[in-house]
Amino acid sequence: MSTAVKNQVRVCLLSVKYNIMREMVNPVTFVTNILFMMLNNATILVQWFILFRLRGEIGGYTMKDVMLLWGLTASSFGLSKVLFARAFSLPELIISGKLDSYLVQPKNVCLSMLTSATSTASIGDFLYGLVLMAFSGFSMGRLVLFLLFTVTGAVIFVAFTLLLGSLSFWFVRAEMAGGQIVSGMISFMTYPDGIFQGVSRYLLYFLIPVGMAVWKPVHIMTAFSGNADNGMSVGAAGQSLQSGLAALLTVAGYAIALMSIAVFIFYRGLRRYSSSSLMEARM
Amino acid sequence: MYAIEAEDLSKTFRVRVKEKGMRGSIRAILRPQVEKITAVDRVSFTVEEGEMLAFIGPNGAGKSTTIKMLTGILCPDGGSVRVLGLDPVKRRKQLAYQIGTVFGQKEQLWTHLTPYDNFRFFGAIYDIPDRETEERIGELAERFALEAFINTPVRNLSLGQRIRCEIVASLIHKPGVLFLDEPTIGLDPVVKENIRGLIRQMNREYHTTILLTSHDVGDIEKLCRRIIIMNAGQIVLDDSMEHLKQHYLSGEDAESVNSPSMSLEDIIMEIYRAEGRTEKV
Repeated sequence: MSTAVKNQVRVCLLSVKYNIMREMVNPVTFVTNILFMMLNNATILVQWFILFRLRGEIGGYTMKDVMLLWGLTASSFGLSKVLFARAFSLPELIISGKLDSYLVQPKNVCLSMLTSATSTASIGDFLYGLVLMAFSGFSMGRLVLFLLFTVTGAVIFVAFTLLLGSLSFWFVRAEMAGGQIVSGMISFMTYPDGIFQGVSRYLLYFLIPVGMAVWKPVHIMTAFSGNADNGMSVGAAGQSLQSGLAALLTVAGYAIALMSIAVFIFYRGLRRYSSSSLMEARM
Repeated sequence: MYAIEAEDLSKTFRVRVKEKGMRGSIRAILRPQVEKITAVDRVSFTVEEGEMLAFIGPNGAGKSTTIKMLTGILCPDGGSVRVLGLDPVKRRKQLAYQIGTVFGQKEQLWTHLTPYDNFRFFGAIYDIPDRETEERIGELAERFALEAFINTPVRNLSLGQRIRCEIVASLIHKPGVLFLDEPTIGLDPVVKENIRGLIRQMNREYHTTILLTSHDVGDIEKLCRRIIIMNAGQIVLDDSMEHLKQHYLSGEDAESVNSPSMSLEDIIMEIYRAEGRTEKV
């Protein structure tokens, strides 16, 4: 790793550390935020329990599959907001001219901006996702896959939010439409993909990146667990591993490509940045 | 060698305009209208290394926009600029290692951290090894008398103490040029004098080039030997402080009626009036 990259990573980690330290100024609030977020998430699963008592399968998913889907969505979203929460308030930074402090630092503006805030409640999301994954059928292999897909999911989340947020460089009030699309994305992520057909399914794979963020990873993980449970032959297991690896690389490649596009759009927009003379403090 | 060279520097902002009332709001959606506002209009000047320059003008004159173009925050629409020989847009990162900025209206420090932790963070931003950062913090804390509150969270400091810490944070990496945008805004006279002393000290001891904007005539008069006055995006005066005073007080300017007791503030107001001050909102 080059010295410049090492230094950039060091600053980003310091920034995340200081952000979490800020949130820990009040330990009671810090812990209750995390616990209540987990509790809040848990209450939503109740409706799925009721639905699955009425029907054994919904959109090709069983209750365990939905738990895995929810777990991956929660962990990916949680990780993205713990490390890169500022992506979600980028339009406000652009409109209020609050990018100045990142522009006068000898560091990558995009990374410095993204890591300059955290959401402690989202630690609850991340942990809740892990708990759900454990209940959906735990194995070491599945845990490794789950953690890898949590990272790719978080990258896709941040990239998509960054891309939509960057539109505020060009369009006034673009943050409203962007916010709605991101909220919509989170909602779609918690439903089995089998219930979406035709154009909507196509859009959710290619326009709003729900498919690559959670659905495809869930398919890979359930296939991986199913094969392991069925006691496959060595040859079949090797083939399954190969196709799983190919799917994993596809998702990772998609995440990297989407992030590259988002960063490109951000820097194109940054040329139009107009700053402001508003009074402000780094809170 | 010049620390700053700007030639025909220009910046135009596109601003949406809307007629009054609800009808105007609806019309703005159907037929959006954009107006171009020239914030900086072909501005040229140079600053010598180690010089302390006052950069003043009424609100909306284009001072902050000019400084933001010099620091790489904004991209100029026209002209060229070099700071320490570097193009601020193309070589933003390299330049950032060599300049410091203090925006009196925008805090750069983390308020929940102590000044010490903040300085450590800034040391990391400028890739300074930990041991060197420690030495630098020790040196600056002693010179700028921060020892009493260096371990108190920034949110618990007085405004004057915070500004002192902001200035010290901007000096951690030994910048060659320091941009101070209204560093004494909101401070009481005693603290203002203290901050001015610090600015003088860093110019003298570190030979730092300082570009200062301020609406406080005291800052300008007590710190700078040269003054640039901007109005409506253009430079209307670029002169030494000494010559400016002589020129006006001796009545060389035929249009002004001057008395020997005329203060620098009166002179500046006279220039603003003569140039037909146009304040933007």
